Amino acid sequence: MPKRRDILAIVLIVLPWTLLITVWHQSAIAPLLAIRKACHHLVKEIFIIPERLAVRRHRLADDRAEGRREAGQGADSKEYCSSDKDIVEVVRTEYVYTRPPPWSDVLPTIHVVTPTYSRPVQKAELTRLANTFLHVPNLHWILVEDAQRRTPLVSRLLRETGLNYTHLNVETPRNYKLRGDARDPRIPRGTMQRNLALRWLRETFSPNSTQPGIVYFADDDNTYSLELFEEMRSTRKVSVWPVAFVGGLRYESPKVNAAGKVYGWKTVFDPHRPFAIDMAGFAVNLRLILFKPQAYFKLRGVKGGYQESSLLRELVTLNDLEPKAANCTKILVWHTRTEKPVLVNEGKKGFTDPNVEI
Amino acid sequence: SLLPQLINCGQRCDCTEHDLAKDRTISRLREKLHSLLEQTKKAEPTKPLKPPLPTIYVITPTYARLVQKAELTRLSHTFLLVPQLHWIVVEDSPHRTGLVSEFLSHSGLAFTHLHVATPHERKLQEGDPSWLKPRGAEQRNEGLRWLRENIRSQEGGVIYFADDDNTYSLQLFEEMRWTQRVSVWPVGLVGGMRYERPIVEQGHVVRFHTGWRPSRPFPLDMAGFAVSLRLVLANPEARFDGDAPMGFLESSFLQSLVTMEELEPKADLCTKVLVWHTRTEKPKMKREEAMQKQGLGSDPAVEV
Repeated sequence: MPKRRDILAIVLIVLPWTLLITVWHQSAIAPLLAIRKACHHLVKEIFIIPERLAVRRHRLADDRAEGRREAGQGADSKEYCSSDKDIVEVVRTEYVYTRPPPWSDVLPTIHVVTPTYSRPVQKAELTRLANTFLHVPNLHWILVEDAQRRTPLVSRLLRETGLNYTHLNVETPRNYKLRGDARDPRIPRGTMQRNLALRWLRETFSPNSTQPGIVYFADDDNTYSLELFEEMRSTRKVSVWPVAFVGGLRYESPKVNAAGKVYGWKTVFDPHRPFAIDMAGFAVNLRLILFKPQAYFKLRGVKGGYQESSLLRELVTLNDLEPKAANCTKILVWHTRTEKPVLVNEGKKGFTDPNVEI
Repeated sequence: SLLPQLINCGQRCDCTEHDLAKDRTISRLREKLHSLLEQTKKAEPTKPLKPPLPTIYVITPTYARLVQKAELTRLSHTFLLVPQLHWIVVEDSPHRTGLVSEFLSHSGLAFTHLHVATPHERKLQEGDPSWLKPRGAEQRNEGLRWLRENIRSQEGGVIYFADDDNTYSLQLFEEMRWTQRVSVWPVGLVGGMRYERPIVEQGHVVRFHTGWRPSRPFPLDMAGFAVSLRLVLANPEARFDGDAPMGFLESSFLQSLVTMEELEPKADLCTKVLVWHTRTEKPKMKREEAMQKQGLGSDPAVEV
C-alpha cells in the first residue's frame, strides 16, 4: 500500500505539469486551428458582393503579390487569411476591380512625366490618359502643371483616378511661353515642367537605392499602347522606338543595323540631329538620371527639334541606345494632337455656367 | 476533472469547447452573412446564370484614316475598365479590314465586328467640312440591326453610341447603366460651347441649353444620351435617318422612341460633364507625300 506521502509527492509533481500542458494547449494551438477552419468556410461562402467601381491601389502582403490579370475572362477570386490578423479578406480579381494593378516589388517602376496646362480640353486629355495608365503595373505618374498654383481640377482628377502620382507645378515665365498660335520653335513648351520632374526625381531617389525605375516623358495629348510600357520596362540605359505622326511622316524611326544597334535616324526633318527622335520615342533608366545630375533639357537657345538631343547627349551615345518594338519595326505610340474646340457660341460674355467644370 | 484533462492531454483539441472571443466573432459574422444572402436571394427573382449588371452595348462607327488605330486603342483602354460592356464596332467599309480585326481580337474586350459601306452620295468628299453631311447613320443602324437579331429583350441592357474620337469618363457608364427608356446628360466641348446640356426642373427635362438650333426636337449630341435595349427592341422601326438635315440625326432616332418629358436626367441632374466631344487633328503628311513621290515613302507594311 503506497504511503500517503508518496501519493502526495506524485500529485505535487504531476499536477503542475498537467496544468502547464493544458493551458499551453488552450492558448496557443486552439486559436490557430479555429481561425484556419472558420476562415476557409467563410471565404468559400462569401459571394461576390458587387462593389462600387472604385479604383484603389492596395498593397497586398509581400508574399501574396499577384500578377496582372487579363481582361474579361470572368471572375476569379483570390482569398487569404492571415493568422496574425483577425481579418479575412476576399480580393476579387475580376479585371475592373484591381485597377491600378497591385504594386509589385519585382517590376521596375515607370515614372511617367507629363507636363500639362490649363485649356478647355485639359480635363478630357488627362481623363483618357489616366484610363490608359490604370492598366499599367508599377506606374508612377508625375504630373507637372504649367501654373502658379496646383489647380483644384487636376488635384481632384488625380485623386479620383486612384493612380500612384506626384503633383507638381512650375509656371513658365511669360516671355518663354508660346504666344497663341504664333509658334516660335525656339521656345519648346513643357521644358521647365520636365526639368522640375527630373529635379524631383533626383531629390527623392538616391543613386545608391536598389529601386529600379524608368523615366518616360509622356505628353498629355499623345496615344500610348499598353505594350509600349512593357517594352520600356527593360531599359538599361536609354531605349528608343518609332513614333507615328511626327516630322510630317506616317512615322519616324531609329535606323537599326543587323547587329541590333542604332546607327541613324529615319526622318526627313534634320536627320543629322544628334538624336532625331520625338519626346515620346525614348525612355531613360532612372539610375542614369541619378548618376548624371547635371543633365537637363536645355531651356534657352534650343533649335526646333533639338530639345530631345539637349538632354540625351548628356546621358548616352548613339551606340548605347537599345532599340525596342521589334527592332524598331512596330508602332506603339502615336503623336496625336487634339483639335482646339471651337467655342464661338460662348460669345464675349460666356454663355455657359463657368462653375460647371469641363 | 483532473483525470479527463490528463487523458486528453496530448490529443488534438476539440476547439468548439473553447468559447474564444475570436471564434464567437467569426460565428456571428457567418450568421450575418447567411442572413444577408438569404435576403438578397429573396429580393431578386432568381434567373439562372444572369450577369449581375445590365450590359452596356456600345456602338462605334469607325472608318479608315491615319489616326484610326490610335483612336481605337485609347478608346479600348477606357472600355476595358467598364464591367459588362460589349463593344459593337461597325466599319464604314464594304468588308472587314485586317487592322480592325486584329486590333479587336487582341483588345481583351467582348466585341462584335460589323461593317457597312456608306453610299457614295452620302459620303463626305475630300475638302468637305465635317459638318456637311451626317456621318455614321448607316453604321449605327447596322449596329441596331445586329442587336435586334441577336439579343433577347429579357436580358436587359442599354445602348450607347460612342464615336471613336470622343473622350469618356468611367463614371458616365455607371450613370447610363440603369436607363429605363432614354437617359440624358451634358456633353462638353460641343455645339460651339464649353458644354451643352438638358435643363432639369423638379427631376424632369424641361428644355435644352444649346448654342445651336435649340428648336430641334432633341438638340442633343450623339454622346449625350443612351437608350434601353428593351425600348429599341419594342420599336423595330426606330433608326437613324441618313438624309436628315444637319443636326437632326439624333432627333430622327429619338423622336420615335420617347418624349422630352420621359427623358431620365443623369450626371447629378445634368450638372456634371462626364463626356467630351474631342476631335483629333488630321496629321500633317506633307513630307510623307513628298517622299512618296520620290518613291521613298515610309514602309507601308508598318501599320500605324
